[in-house]
Amino acid sequence: MHIPDGYVDITIAVLFGALSVAILGLAARRVGRRVPESRAPLLGVVAAGIFAAQMLNWPIPGGTSAHFVGGAFAAILLGPHLGALCVATVVTIQALVFGDGGLVVLGANVFNMAIVEVYVGYGFYRLLAPYGEYRAAFVAGWLGITAGALTAGLQLGLSSAFEYQLLTTLSIMGVGHLVLGLIEGAITAVVYRFLAEARPDLQPTAAAEVSPS
Amino acid sequence: MNARPDWFPRALAILLVLTLLTPLFGWAAGAVGYAEPLENAAEATGAADSAEAVGIALMPDYAVAGLGTAPGTVVAAVVGTALTLVVAGAIGRLLGTEPNAE
Repeated sequence: MHIPDGYVDITIAVLFGALSVAILGLAARRVGRRVPESRAPLLGVVAAGIFAAQMLNWPIPGGTSAHFVGGAFAAILLGPHLGALCVATVVTIQALVFGDGGLVVLGANVFNMAIVEVYVGYGFYRLLAPYGEYRAAFVAGWLGITAGALTAGLQLGLSSAFEYQLLTTLSIMGVGHLVLGLIEGAITAVVYRFLAEARPDLQPTAAAEVSPS
Repeated sequence: MNARPDWFPRALAILLVLTLLTPLFGWAAGAVGYAEPLENAAEATGAADSAEAVGIALMPDYAVAGLGTAPGTVVAAVVGTALTLVVAGAIGRLLGTEPNAE
């Protein structure tokens, strides 16, 4: 899902870059001064875990595959605003140090993986958590990554390199990740369940985070 | 200030295990012809040749110059994971923590 430079038109890249800066700025303001001391190292560990997990490509024989992105997972564990900053850190380091995802298009990649996947995933989690926390985590991971893939498909389909074939890019990205997202959802639910049972003290305090400041 | 929580050493051990697994997954991805939907979309629309590499990356494609594929992947994974741990942790502290915010 990491878009390289050259794929997205500069106007699209600038537009989504500006959107990402604005939204992450708001996210930082919302969590500012309210990060509990125990959450700073947790933010580091979750970000590092997502970085490492993103290097583990799922080896599905003979077909299209992907890797864990972790946006919904970060949102559930850290709350959406800290989750967005967490995944944005990962995506930025991947681009700057490892050339995974372009620099001009960095804002678009952050928008897809650190904003759309995080906030959409978190929205599904909050909506469905009353019916089962782990089932909600599964749906959050599944549909969060699908939503991020759709915005990536939108950016690609509105660009000249993809000959403005919006329907093609949306369908390949959307359907592909709708299927692959089942694995993202499963990992999100299983790892969250493991953490929730092993360390209930690390349970999110997201309700406080999303309340009006 | 900011004393490490008791779960921190165990978390570091889990991170280390994940980084050590990266060459195995890298090899498996190559063996099955790993391709993401993004690459499929680029192929379908003729955009694949438009991709440009990021010139400033220190370890492009998670590889280290002079090292083989597997050791290079491990080094890239360890460096990237450690860097992310430090940067994200610093962001958490920079945002401003309060001892009783929870």
